[in-house]
Amino acid sequence: MSAPVKSALSDIGATSCAPEVSVVEISHVSKYFAKVVANKDVSLTVHAGEVVALLGENGAGKSTIMKILYGLYGKDEGTIKICGEERQIKSPADAMRLGIAMIQQHFSLVPTHTATENIILGNVHGYIPLNECNNRIRALAEKYGFDIPVDKKVGELAVGVQQKIEILKALYIDARILIMDEPTAVLTPQESEVLMQFIHDFTNQGNSVVFITHKLKEVMEVADRIVVMRNGVVVDTVRRAETNEQQLARLMIGQEIVPPERDQTLDYENATAVLELNNISLALKGTSACVESVSFTVHEGEIFGIAGVSGNGQDELCDILCGARQPTCGEIRFLGRDITNESIRARIESGIGYVPVDRYRDAMVMDMTLAENMLLKSSFSTHWQNRGFIRQKALNRYTTEKIAEHRVKATGPSDTARSLSGGNQQKIVLAREVDLGKKLLIFNQPTRGLDMGAVDRIHKVILEEKERKKAVLLISTELTELFELCDRIAVMYRGRLMGVFHNGEKTTAEIGLLMAGVSEKQEVKA
Amino acid sequence: MKKRLGVPLYNIGAVLVGLVISASLLLFLKLNPVEVIALSVKKIASDGYTLGEILVKATPLIFTSLAFAFTYKANLFNIGAQGQFYAGAIAAIALSLWLGDRVPQGVLLLIVLVASFASGAVVGGLIGFAKSKFRANEFLVSMMSTYVVSALMDFLLRTSLQETKAEYLQTDAIAKSAYLPTILPGTRVHLGFVLAVVTAILIWVLLYKTPLGFRIRAVGYNHNAAELGGIRSGKIYVAAFFIAGGLAGMAGFTEVNGVQHMLLQNFNTSIGSFGIGIAILANGNPIGCIFASILFGFLNVMGTTMGRLPGLNIPASIIDLIEGVVMICVIMSYFVRKAAENRSEKQRLKKAGGK
Repeated sequence: MSAPVKSALSDIGATSCAPEVSVVEISHVSKYFAKVVANKDVSLTVHAGEVVALLGENGAGKSTIMKILYGLYGKDEGTIKICGEERQIKSPADAMRLGIAMIQQHFSLVPTHTATENIILGNVHGYIPLNECNNRIRALAEKYGFDIPVDKKVGELAVGVQQKIEILKALYIDARILIMDEPTAVLTPQESEVLMQFIHDFTNQGNSVVFITHKLKEVMEVADRIVVMRNGVVVDTVRRAETNEQQLARLMIGQEIVPPERDQTLDYENATAVLELNNISLALKGTSACVESVSFTVHEGEIFGIAGVSGNGQDELCDILCGARQPTCGEIRFLGRDITNESIRARIESGIGYVPVDRYRDAMVMDMTLAENMLLKSSFSTHWQNRGFIRQKALNRYTTEKIAEHRVKATGPSDTARSLSGGNQQKIVLAREVDLGKKLLIFNQPTRGLDMGAVDRIHKVILEEKERKKAVLLISTELTELFELCDRIAVMYRGRLMGVFHNGEKTTAEIGLLMAGVSEKQEVKA
Repeated sequence: MKKRLGVPLYNIGAVLVGLVISASLLLFLKLNPVEVIALSVKKIASDGYTLGEILVKATPLIFTSLAFAFTYKANLFNIGAQGQFYAGAIAAIALSLWLGDRVPQGVLLLIVLVASFASGAVVGGLIGFAKSKFRANEFLVSMMSTYVVSALMDFLLRTSLQETKAEYLQTDAIAKSAYLPTILPGTRVHLGFVLAVVTAILIWVLLYKTPLGFRIRAVGYNHNAAELGGIRSGKIYVAAFFIAGGLAGMAGFTEVNGVQHMLLQNFNTSIGSFGIGIAILANGNPIGCIFASILFGFLNVMGTTMGRLPGLNIPASIIDLIEGVVMICVIMSYFVRKAAENRSEKQRLKKAGGK
């Protein structure tokens, strides 16, 4: 196992741990950020051969405590013991030396390097015997049944494969404790299963996994013990065998969530078409088409869903719909009028609301006040102007109303957007778009990364808008969300629609397969 | 509330630290810095004319700092205020020479004001256009534009604008009727100072009370979100640079018609770069630019006064030294303040969490 490329990373003291001692023992750790308490008095243990799930809503402090363990953040109080010995972990390098590896939500891979180069990155000095490295990594991959093209550039590989490379990075340094932050967020259901299998194999060899998630199903599937966090503190620790999803949900959110009710009787097919797409395609220079011949119609009072793993052309489709990008060919009709060449502003003014996937980048100005953010899309509208000046008082009044109406946790219209939590920011965006989108609302993953309370609220709003006879286009990666809300669901894969179905026509599993690009005729590979 | 109070405190502290550091250089001359400073401050305070000089020096700095601060709000860097100032100065001198004694004073000044604004604005607008049309780096283009305009000015000073004696690279003096009137008797403080203050206030109103200002700030903070809000950032780039250029051009008007009454080679070579520092000191706030400019006007006058103290032989470069060191201290104080705020916030949370 010892080759010249192997650096002195693995510390012998770390890997030999007495069986009765817990591998990781975090006691009374607290972490304060400039404006928030991220973790307060968090204690948890991980034993050898165990899968511990860290369950909690977004912002519950799960990632923070693990980033402390991995040395990305310093702790303000408390102690961390590895194999019974107290350790100061000041950097990821320290953590790796102790056999701890973490796979971040956003991978830290260099896209222009090959898989091998990424894996050995940071662990080589001087001359690199690349062939030898390739072979070693191939062998390592085989050991866990991973099929990795070691000499391909990472940027060309699918997300699921990229994640395997991240895992191999951890295995390469002989990590005994693997922390995974929301590992299934970017995977298809099938890829997730492969991941779950790996976790079983890995822990069977006496290693440990900490699995950060907010998905109850995964927790029940993979975890031995479940640590539930809420608002930066550990609420409870339960054994998987002694709990169920309902109990976990209660622990996680502290309140019962009522699913929104749907009016099934609506005769949407005979309603007027609001948005029509005819053979919309988009090909960027030098790449294959990222949107290909997409056609569909959204009617008045209809929620039309597009399912798909992120990165299959949904974001580009949204760009085309809101006017940020011109399609290479095809036609967009809005209430019968051709709007293919209309500007963003014209589309806003004609009553199209759009909630983009990345609100930090595309929907909000974080350093501006809530009132200013409400004005962002109507700065040309005479409604908010009086003799060339902004009607600040009216705007503040309006914003205050919206804050109350959508139950945004904010002190007033002059709070900066940045000071709000993610869910409350999204409510502000939602409030603005719902008012602007008089006829059509486009949502791109509106609940991504939000806690259940906010998700619930957003779902209710979407259904209310449907009641108001607006057309709704909902793009999401969460099948449960689509099944709960949509009238019809299309599946998008590699820029193409794999079919449009009435809700209920297909099971989650069937849609899941389509999302992975497996059409019904093809044989399903296990 | 507490934070608001803290900012000026930190700035004052930084200025004091900067003064101490730069004044300690006087020790090399075997002089007591405290005595020298006390002496020069006393001298300034006792003399109305010198006191007025503070405002005279501050006037063009208000304009050039606004020229930087304004584009800064759109997250653009206008490094070329010096060139835009020269463009304004060329327009001011040309029109003043041509129209002097032919047009009533008020009308003439108004024409020159508009023309110098327009002249600087065209230079600025071209930079903004290059940015929006070709995605040219506005930092580089604006910086280089200064050299071009400066060379153009030299060219004109040697040709059509050169004095009738054709001896030096300078113009004739303008007619009295083209002078900006002094507003404080016994000093050189002219109407341009009032114009600068009013302009700064108007720029604040434009930025914070009008839709255009809102759009400029939105593009500056997050151009992606602004674009999706229907705001064309390209247009905003041109508009922001156009106005910023015009502001710097107005400095040309006040300097030519208010102070120098002529144009000559190497005219006020550092007001552009000081404008940048002053705008940063004011954190891009137009009102803050007024006070920061007055502070630097004071430092400049103090340096000059020191150099003139009889029998001490303090070199004139002390002026730039004081201003430079103070500026560095002020910029540093911004980061020190941020760190201190974070620390105290953390402390507060720790206490609150402990209960």
